[in-house]
Amino acid sequence: MTAATQPFGLPAPDKLRKYKIWDSYFLPAHSADPQRFATDMKRSHSAIEKAAIERLCVFLHVGLGTADAATEANLRENPEVIVAPLKQWPEMLLGMMRLNPMDVRRSLDALNRWMRDGPMVGVYFASSKQASLPCNHRNFDPLVQKIDELGGVIMQHTWFKTSGKDSAGESTPSELAELAQRFPEIKFLCAHAGGEWEKGIRAIRAHPNILAETSGFDATAGFIDMAVRELGADRVVFGSHLPSRSLGTELSKVLSADISATDRKKIFGENLRRLLGPIHAKQGIPKR
Amino acid sequence: MPTLDRRELLHGAVAASVVANLSTAVVAEDGSARSVQRRVIDTNVSLFRWPFRRLPLDETGELVAKLRSHSIEQAWAGSFEGLLHRDIAGVNSRLVEACRAHGDDLLFPFGSVNPVLPDWEEDLRRCHEEHRMLGVRLHPNYHGYTLDDPRFERLMRLAAERRLTVQLAAAMEDTRTQHPLLQVADVDLTPLPEMLKRVPEARVVVLNHKVTGAEVMQLLNTPGAYFDMSRVNATDGVARVMRTVPKGRVVFGTHAPFLIYESAMIKVYESNLTDDEDSSILYENAKRLVSRASV
Repeated sequence: MTAATQPFGLPAPDKLRKYKIWDSYFLPAHSADPQRFATDMKRSHSAIEKAAIERLCVFLHVGLGTADAATEANLRENPEVIVAPLKQWPEMLLGMMRLNPMDVRRSLDALNRWMRDGPMVGVYFASSKQASLPCNHRNFDPLVQKIDELGGVIMQHTWFKTSGKDSAGESTPSELAELAQRFPEIKFLCAHAGGEWEKGIRAIRAHPNILAETSGFDATAGFIDMAVRELGADRVVFGSHLPSRSLGTELSKVLSADISATDRKKIFGENLRRLLGPIHAKQGIPKR
Repeated sequence: MPTLDRRELLHGAVAASVVANLSTAVVAEDGSARSVQRRVIDTNVSLFRWPFRRLPLDETGELVAKLRSHSIEQAWAGSFEGLLHRDIAGVNSRLVEACRAHGDDLLFPFGSVNPVLPDWEEDLRRCHEEHRMLGVRLHPNYHGYTLDDPRFERLMRLAAERRLTVQLAAAMEDTRTQHPLLQVADVDLTPLPEMLKRVPEARVVVLNHKVTGAEVMQLLNTPGAYFDMSRVNATDGVARVMRTVPKGRVVFGTHAPFLIYESAMIKVYESNLTDDEDSSILYENAKRLVSRASV
């Protein structure tokens, strides 16, 4: 082993394996060119191995207008492309389908096709310029009820930007709190904890059915400490945002926080596995 | 696995040839491979209070303990006070005192200079002549000037005459998360390549930049320009930057305690660098940068 190959800033691999890390937010490109997905898997491979990440939730377009025109056309002509990554990496990837709250009818149909009948285990609501609405919109109501009926996990992209929203479809943690208040029995993942996490954590604090996802912003010190203090470790879920963000940025948030090993295990995997319990039970996937 | 002690090595307990190549594994006399610590200069830490929240390592003693826990050899320290205070001489005196009190040759102060303030030249003089600093740190966006401001070029000329390295913080935090009453855009680096051509003796290290974009690549191809990697992102980001710019231009910086200390370390590790690349970013490039200092 040379100097450059010795772990630097990370615990030894056997210690990381004990955390049983599951990643709720993995972002390889799902596009018209399937080679891009494979390239991003290859880019991420070393980081996944070094962090000993066991499973990764990936967000897949299902032809609801959530992708660019070329990708949408490809999905229509070759629907097998939708789940191809899950077939290629069945032991690693967990499929989360991208829904379009602007098209409720087709989104409900897609839930039956891809979640009720498998293999998708959850849903991702993006904050894209196309195919997004603020998540307090009433269009979300029938969708989240259907997802809950099927046992799926709900991940909602959120940001609090100082300069305001970049597009009308973006969601904030406060808007997610409104949705969560309407459905107190349904769990929601607040992606990126709102980015500006001091506000984000406050916005979701009073809603025990919202969990904070950890990725998507710089490794600003103190984030996990505050999240665990204000929400409890049961309401924090690790995300890697690989490959567009680095392991250094995302893993260090949890690894370096001043929290107990028990809390770290919850954040790194136990909480996500708990959320996935209902859909795995419905789809007949054994507990891990 | 036994580990060689860095200070033992530095104090001549081991052959000089080993010292010259610390970043590779050593084969002991019995033939077993032994782990060797990397030599690391962290070019980007700050002391005192971040104005907008308490940080886990914002007590200097705690930051120093963290540096020692990772066997960091040197840390170049600026002051968060330099962002907003106008008594810059006081800011720099406190920085020097804290480095002396806690550092034990670990913390090297980089004083603040604000060329918008009257008599800033005296601050620069004190940094060099009285405090014997290796360099100074600038915050153009918080101090309210652009890089085509004649005062900036004059500062760069005077710093170059004194062989001071200039650290230029392009940002301190993501603009999206700034306090609503203190929103400052990232520093526009566009004028820098032309200025460096006019002041070829200058050495400027851009801190806290994501190191993406065509204008940045142009800057990195300009002699005299360096970047720290604290905010470089993507899992292959550090390797990409190192392999697309001239050798020796990227230095290790953590931007601690604002960012989590281990974040930058893991970024280097996950980049799968060669031993040469690993030692150059962590140590050699920074060492070379200040080797011309006249202190």
